[in-house]
Amino acid sequence: MSNAHSRHYLMIWYWLMALVIVSVLAAFFLPKFQALVLIFAVAIIKALLVARNYMHLKNERAIIYAMALVPLAFILVLLFALFPDFVYHLTRP
Amino acid sequence: MNASSATLTDTAIHAGKTGTWWFLASEIPVFGGLIASYIVVRLGSTGWAEAASHLNFNLGLINTFLLLTSSMTIVMAHAATEENDYRKVANFLGLTVLLGLGFLGMKAIEYTTEISNGFLPSSGIFWSFYYGMTGLHALHVLAGIIVNLVLWIQALKGSLARNGHRVELAGLYWHLVDIIWIFLFPLLYLA
Repeated sequence: MSNAHSRHYLMIWYWLMALVIVSVLAAFFLPKFQALVLIFAVAIIKALLVARNYMHLKNERAIIYAMALVPLAFILVLLFALFPDFVYHLTRP
Repeated sequence: MNASSATLTDTAIHAGKTGTWWFLASEIPVFGGLIASYIVVRLGSTGWAEAASHLNFNLGLINTFLLLTSSMTIVMAHAATEENDYRKVANFLGLTVLLGLGFLGMKAIEYTTEISNGFLPSSGIFWSFYYGMTGLHALHVLAGIIVNLVLWIQALKGSLARNGHRVELAGLYWHLVDIIWIFLFPLLYLA
């Protein structure tokens, strides 16, 4: 059982390494905007891979999900609440 | 009697895990708030790309590999607790500690170079964010290293077998530290 776990953890590590390389290549070879979109999409995928597989979130109870997601939701609210401020400054004549 | 003891132990383990997740949940607003502020201030300012170009990209990349690898080694230590192979647990915990120390060593080299080049926390808003976020993160790495070091010593002494679930709890914390770096690296070095 544990050998299968170890192989799975190793496979996730290979994916993480490959994704780091994808981000670096994107930063060097893609136009700025496309690179930024890809880099942050890859960062989210890497975080999900770690959380679901290494932190075992995919086997956790709903209460654990709630504990992880509620503060994240607050951060997103904070981020979007602050967006109008910088849009105002950027578009000000 | 045995069943009751087993139930109690399971309850204790669940309580420990829930408590650890509560703690991790409290860390999310700390780093999330910093990262959200960084994004908003950066989007509303100019000249940050020039400041960021003075960072040592190669050291940041090496640190990314070190931390991602250490996440793998600590989860391997957790898998070894399920096999009751505490020699393997000690080996993987030892590796995790070494990788964590490697991360801090690289960070120390980066800070030394940047400070000697005149880039201090007071050198501008980018540098304030940079030192604030990476410094707080490095303190978290240091705390994780200390916890892992204690567990490593317990594994070597053989006393960890009674509390093998602690490896999983330490791992949860270590993975969070890794996830934070997963976002700090592109924000500071790639964006």
